[in-house]
Amino acid sequence: MDFSLTAEQQLLRDSLADWLADRYDLARSREAAASEAGWQPEVWRAFADDLGILGATLPEEVGGSGGGPVEAMVIAEQLGRALVVEPYVDTVVLGGGVLRRLPGAGDVLKGVVAGSVRIAPGLLEPTSGHTAHSVATTARRDGGDWVLTGAKAVVPGVPQATHLLLTARTSGEQRDLDGISIFLLPVELPGLQVHRYRTIDDRHAADLVLDDVQVPADALLGEEGRGWTALAPALDEALAALTAEAVGCMRTVLADTVAYSKERRQFGQPIGSFQALQHRMVDMHLEVEQSVAAMYLATLRLGAEPAERARATSAAKVTVSRAARFVGQNAVQLHGGMGMTQELAIGHYFKRLTAIEYELGPADHHRSRYASLTPKPRSAERGED
Amino acid sequence: MDLEWSAADLAFRDEVRAFLDERLTPDLRRAGRLMTSVYADHEASMRWQAILHERGWAAPAWPVEYGGCDWTVTQHYLFSRESILAGAPPLSPMGISMVAHVLIEFGTPEQKEFFLPRILTGEVFFCQGYSEPEAGSDLAALSMTAEADGDDLVCTGSKIWTTHAGEANWMFCLVRTSRAAKKQQGITFLLIDMSSPGIEVRPLVMTSGEQIQNQEFFDHVRVPKANVVGEIDDGWTVAKYLLEFERGGSAAAPKLQIMADEVARAAAGQPGPDGRPLLESPAFAAKLADARIRIDVLEVLEFRVLSAAAGGRNPGTASSMLKILGTELSQTLTELLLEAAGPRGRAYQPHATRPGGPLAGFAPPADGYVSGEEWQAVAPLRYFNDRAGTIYAGSNEIQRNILAKAALGL
Ligand SMILES: Cc1cc2nc3c(=O)[nH]c(=O)nc-3n(C[C@H](O)[C@H](O)[C@H](O)COP(=O)(O)OP(=O)(O)OC[C@H]3O[C@@H](n4cnc5c(N)ncnc54)[C@H](O)[C@@H]3O)c2cc1C
Repeated sequence: MDFSLTAEQQLLRDSLADWLADRYDLARSREAAASEAGWQPEVWRAFADDLGILGATLPEEVGGSGGGPVEAMVIAEQLGRALVVEPYVDTVVLGGGVLRRLPGAGDVLKGVVAGSVRIAPGLLEPTSGHTAHSVATTARRDGGDWVLTGAKAVVPGVPQATHLLLTARTSGEQRDLDGISIFLLPVELPGLQVHRYRTIDDRHAADLVLDDVQVPADALLGEEGRGWTALAPALDEALAALTAEAVGCMRTVLADTVAYSKERRQFGQPIGSFQALQHRMVDMHLEVEQSVAAMYLATLRLGAEPAERARATSAAKVTVSRAARFVGQNAVQLHGGMGMTQELAIGHYFKRLTAIEYELGPADHHRSRYASLTPKPRSAERGED
Repeated sequence: MDLEWSAADLAFRDEVRAFLDERLTPDLRRAGRLMTSVYADHEASMRWQAILHERGWAAPAWPVEYGGCDWTVTQHYLFSRESILAGAPPLSPMGISMVAHVLIEFGTPEQKEFFLPRILTGEVFFCQGYSEPEAGSDLAALSMTAEADGDDLVCTGSKIWTTHAGEANWMFCLVRTSRAAKKQQGITFLLIDMSSPGIEVRPLVMTSGEQIQNQEFFDHVRVPKANVVGEIDDGWTVAKYLLEFERGGSAAAPKLQIMADEVARAAAGQPGPDGRPLLESPAFAAKLADARIRIDVLEVLEFRVLSAAAGGRNPGTASSMLKILGTELSQTLTELLLEAAGPRGRAYQPHATRPGGPLAGFAPPADGYVSGEEWQAVAPLRYFNDRAGTIYAGSNEIQRNILAKAALGL
């Protein structure tokens, strides 16, 4: 058993942390988020050119440095710490994770590593809830082409994206794992309706309407109807990375809250001297530490067989969803009125933590996935006899 | 002993219902239904106040001689319950439910004559200037000074978190008129005309993007001594009296029941983890049932406090208890609504709601597009704004401190 980072991983962490501390200004990034562009392109360029984080987890054949889950964890945690809005997990971990499992995506992946390609994964739909394999959008063959019909909801990172990674059903029922196909499309697509909006956590997303959109045969990636085999592991990787991002956010939030409680004075003393608040901050600390452990659990089990991998990432998401709520809410509470504003960092982190609570499925969703993957005791299997 | 309404109560309820049916326009109901916090859209709320005033129901809790209603405690309860049920935008509490009671108890005849009728018509709209940057939970530490100069008090300092200071033309506030050994002494309760020279109002941007709260800066603002309520240096007595109306007063259970119904309606139309409606998901159903059970119990708790009040007994520590239970339940329900909103709950689309104030740096889409339904746009904003419930009107930590002392003798 070993929880230590290699020298290269430490270097990756430290150089990213230093760069973000020097160059990533919270106020500037919020301004960019509120703008039409929705982000700072120069930040993404630096991620690709100066820091090399976009290729850190992608294979060497496409220009990456061949790292794995631990590299993704290290990167996502630092991005969370600095509340980076640029969509690393969506584009690189989820988008890249799907693509690197499918043939024919090599050039696109090279673009991801270079920072010129950004992928917006369009999985959820108006009637899917948080279930990624609930796909009602259909794709049917039309001569050599495909025709896509349906709708996608809350597709993250759209104004920044160059490509859409869409699921569409080529056979089966709405919630079947079989029959899901993956299409990679340019964002500018004739016939595609895009409704863009900001999200509560200072990012951007869009709803897509596909009204018989004609796409060429090579838009289909991998085998028809077998998309879930690439999506399922990539989603678990994204869950692990999201957990790490949450840990980064929560570490900042806890540190800020403790610091504030030492500075803010009421009744002639620092509010941090009130035992009621000390216990609350200790409980926040316990939630953060459990989330750190959950982050390792998810990250280190990504290589396990599918059921074990899924159980670990669901366990991590349940832990982090609970922690994100508790830590976020109490950080606001302990800041009093100041916690309710956009003046301090805390308000912005609280919004991101709220989004993370639900992103890739809320706690109940993952509790039920965890339960369904947990073997029943033998007596229960036997039933009543 | 029973929990039923009398025939007279039911007849009264029907009368209120008929009135609401007739006078609440669809637009006013929308303003009530799409609220993102406890603050209704200002214009809609004032419009509704005018309609209520016409009927004599704008300030039912006031003594009849000033325009109140001769109602039983149950009738007050039924009126507020029916209003919420019908989706009426709530009236701003600062004038009608707060400072008016203080004026009635402590005001000079001139103050009563000037302010009370104008509060009723909405011509005078009050904001509450209690909190200061360095005096929040520790309100008595306030330091905005008011120095006597002839017939005036000259005020210098700052107030913060003032709800609707931008809309208000009057502020009731606490100022320091002298420094005594005990910080509660030397405070004065003062009414300030917001158009007086030397006042700057700066809106604050809250997490939701809404600008409802403000900070004000007072630079040698002259206020006639005639605007002091009660005695100079004895404002703490007045403030404590007002606090009883801020914390207690109305019942929370009806509002919470409606929120729970909203959650149920929302969850019935959204898919849960197994594909069936979220409302049928055992985990979600259990959470909602738990919230409803707490509301049922809170309602009886509130009835008990109300009937004690009707019997002339002081609610005592009950207002702290009800404040804690009501605000924390409300937060639970906003969590459930946000969960029910599903992935759409992440979209920031205040243009589909009726917030209680202007929005900072938000441009609605040209085509008015809304992702999902309006309630899904409301859900995250309500969740953010409702965090304030456990902070204002005496934070829940402060209420627990009060209960530890007063209820448990610790
Ligand atoms: C949306 C909103 C609207 C408001 N509207 C108005 C208004 O119209 N007019 C007005 O005057 N004010 C208003 N307020 C201000 C409100 O009354 C204050 O925010 C509140 O009194 C808390 O003060 P504070 O924000 O300075 O927090 P602080 O007093 O600094 O408290 C910070 C944290 O410390 C805790 N704490 C403080 N003392 C203790 C203790 N002894 N023991 C344990 N914990 C403690 C608090 O509970 C809180 O969690 C509003 C606030 C909000 C958020």
